[in-house]
Amino acid sequence: MITVKDLHKKFEDNHVLRGVNYHVHQGEKVVVIGPSGSGKSTFLRCMNLLETPTSGEIWVDGVNITDSKTDIDKVRQHLGMVFQNFNLFNNLTIMNNITLAPAKLGLMSKEEASENALKLLERVGLTEKADAYPSQLSGGQKQRVAIVRSLAMNPRVMLFDEPTSALDPEMVGEVLDVMKGLADSGMTMVVVTHEMGFAREVGTKVLFMDEGVIMEENTPQEFFNNPKSPRLKEFLSKVL
Amino acid sequence: MHEWFQKVSVMFEAAFITGDRWKLYLNGLGVTLEIAFFAAILGMVIGTLLAFMKLSVRRNGKKSILVVLANVYIDVIRGTPSVLQLMIMWFIIMANSKNGVLVAILSFGINSGAYVAEIVRAGILAVDNGQMEAGRSLGLSKVQTMIYIIIPQAVKNVLPPIGNEFIVLLKETAIVGYVSLTDLTRVANQIASRTYEAFMPLIGAAVIYFIVIKILTILLAKFERRLRKSDNR
Repeated sequence: MITVKDLHKKFEDNHVLRGVNYHVHQGEKVVVIGPSGSGKSTFLRCMNLLETPTSGEIWVDGVNITDSKTDIDKVRQHLGMVFQNFNLFNNLTIMNNITLAPAKLGLMSKEEASENALKLLERVGLTEKADAYPSQLSGGQKQRVAIVRSLAMNPRVMLFDEPTSALDPEMVGEVLDVMKGLADSGMTMVVVTHEMGFAREVGTKVLFMDEGVIMEENTPQEFFNNPKSPRLKEFLSKVL
Repeated sequence: MHEWFQKVSVMFEAAFITGDRWKLYLNGLGVTLEIAFFAAILGMVIGTLLAFMKLSVRRNGKKSILVVLANVYIDVIRGTPSVLQLMIMWFIIMANSKNGVLVAILSFGINSGAYVAEIVRAGILAVDNGQMEAGRSLGLSKVQTMIYIIIPQAVKNVLPPIGNEFIVLLKETAIVGYVSLTDLTRVANQIASRTYEAFMPLIGAAVIYFIVIKILTILLAKFERRLRKSDNR
């Protein structure tokens, strides 16, 4: 589904990614953990080209998205992205947040998009907020809407960039529940997070990133119970 | 008391009534408003264009020729007095033009454009980058995200300083007397020199400017409130 080959990313002198190789299979739930500054967010953001790789290749569904001839907008339609800071469109109602892209990109009519949006909002229990503006919602509600907004595009993969890091503790659960539901429905997911419980429970693969490389990857069982590298042992001892 | 009142009313009559002088103020105000209105529109068009030129940074992060051109324009216009710009336009560039008002509109519009450019640019930059990222990640193009997401939010940011710019522009037109156009300020000055009495015409003109700008301020505030409806918490 997504193949990353020898990915490097430099921000001026800061060498953030130093040769990342990975393959995400259909239906997998890949959870990426690691200390801050390890490059895990950059890795995720490269997958839909929000960051342009310095070198290396990324293939999504057989398309090389790092090729400058690729129409990245087309590829992104199938790659949902959820941000740490929600990034709901502040000037639009919740309904219009969800219907804007499907309608403007001609994937469905405005009516179909609205109908679809209401169904999706019902799934996350926010139907009554359809006409509200983002500023009237709590953080947890915003993030649930942000997930719905991505789902409205019928993505084949969902990317999550620390989706619960900006939330009050009591709101983390409601967002994780939605993500769990999504995982159960068979969605392919790549999740950068600090929620170890989520990684253990929902992940099919857990990656540990440090200093710009994937240091260790394993099933959640092995990953948490039997860490191999000393760096991961040290990290887990701090966070668990 | 009675004597004072009589004196004032004589002054008032000389300044506004005799020979239907109030019509002169109205004509002057008409010239002022005509110049300010069209110059403001021209300034908005030029300024928006310049702002987008300045924001057109290439993918590799290098400045494009558009950025350089916009910077030169803004530097030159902001670095010279507007009276001089007006006189250069009137006596040199458009010396053959008979339409003084048109020359003034062009001169003030070109001047205002440089200031509006920075206002618009700041308004766009003030919109959180995450909004653009969210739009792009949904598959919308840069232009689509600009039109549906960034610009509507930037308009709200821009409104207060743009209102300020309109007000400054309106008052700045008082210098058109330098190129012998008869705007409100010049009318007041001419009547003062004819009646040998400066108080009434000058204060009168000041009051008229004040009222016009007060109305403009109220309209802008109304407009701003309407745009802010998505902000109520």
